[in-house]
Amino acid sequence: MRDWQELVRQRLSGLALAAPEKDEVHAELAAHLEESYEVFCKEGLPEKEAVHRTFEQVADWQDLQRRIFIAKRSGHPMKKRLHQLWIPGFFTLVLSMVFLMTLQGLGFQARVVSWSGPRTTLLYLPWLLSLPFFGALGAYLSSRAGGSRRTVLLASTFPALALTGAFLSMFPIGFAMERIIGRRVDFSIVATTLLRDGIGWLLVPGVALSGAEYSSTFCLADEHRRKARRLVSEAKDA
Amino acid sequence: MIGAGIKRGTAELAILSVLEEGPLHGYEMARRIEEQTKGALRFTLAALYPMLYRMEQRGWIRGAWETGPSGRRKRCYRLTPAGKKKLSPLRKEWEELFGALKRLTKVAHA
Repeated sequence: MRDWQELVRQRLSGLALAAPEKDEVHAELAAHLEESYEVFCKEGLPEKEAVHRTFEQVADWQDLQRRIFIAKRSGHPMKKRLHQLWIPGFFTLVLSMVFLMTLQGLGFQARVVSWSGPRTTLLYLPWLLSLPFFGALGAYLSSRAGGSRRTVLLASTFPALALTGAFLSMFPIGFAMERIIGRRVDFSIVATTLLRDGIGWLLVPGVALSGAEYSSTFCLADEHRRKARRLVSEAKDA
Repeated sequence: MIGAGIKRGTAELAILSVLEEGPLHGYEMARRIEEQTKGALRFTLAALYPMLYRMEQRGWIRGAWETGPSGRRKRCYRLTPAGKKKLSPLRKEWEELFGALKRLTKVAHA
């Protein structure tokens, strides 16, 4: 019995797709070749001729590999970006913010943690503990939509990135307010506050969210590997 | 026999048209197209799959693994709502083109 899957795998070994997607292409093309071969055999062709006619369908495997890659990478870039980054990112942001407001509503307050003398950091521990979960959810959604490693990371850390954007926009707004109200602001106080809140609200949450991205990507890759193995074994059994 | 350039242009229409009748896997799709066009359109594996993957990326068709009566797993394609929407204007465009060519050749022969 000819192993069509192995034959296709050898010929399309350089197909630059993610392993699960590549395995699916191999399995699908192998099924097509196998069916062609069986039909040729039923038509009464000798085995050698049937194999020859089957492989005649692909004149240039390198060219086929290139065309499959281009086809798989085509599509609407804006739509892809929406599903791989914006939807998972905003979903993560909204969930984490709703949870934060719920905690505040329940009376959980941020804790001021001292480090190195008078320097302090504001840590919102219950919220921080929830972030790996939300980050993993964002990473999972992005990964499922076919997002690259970088896109998955951006989607999972989206709440921290959005807060960073909000913090940075405070500088020009602060300057404008200073001009309007005509009062001088002590920027050493502003810098200390920004450092304190920057660590507590941006850096630590960012690390918590990105840490979740690693675990979720690992779980998802494992799930894909298991699915691909199942497909291959089922194709062999059939 | 129809030339390669025209075949490429009509391939999308052919695939969408056969899938309008119901879900099919790649080999069956190629066989149906060949039968229904009396051999004028013939899809080899190398021509069919890049086209299917491109159409899937565009959201016109969707492939899913299914187990057939023989127990063998195959990837079946079906039309999506976007594909159904695409089929009607595509069909009209080709009808207009072939109608125009037909009129042109009649005038040339007259």
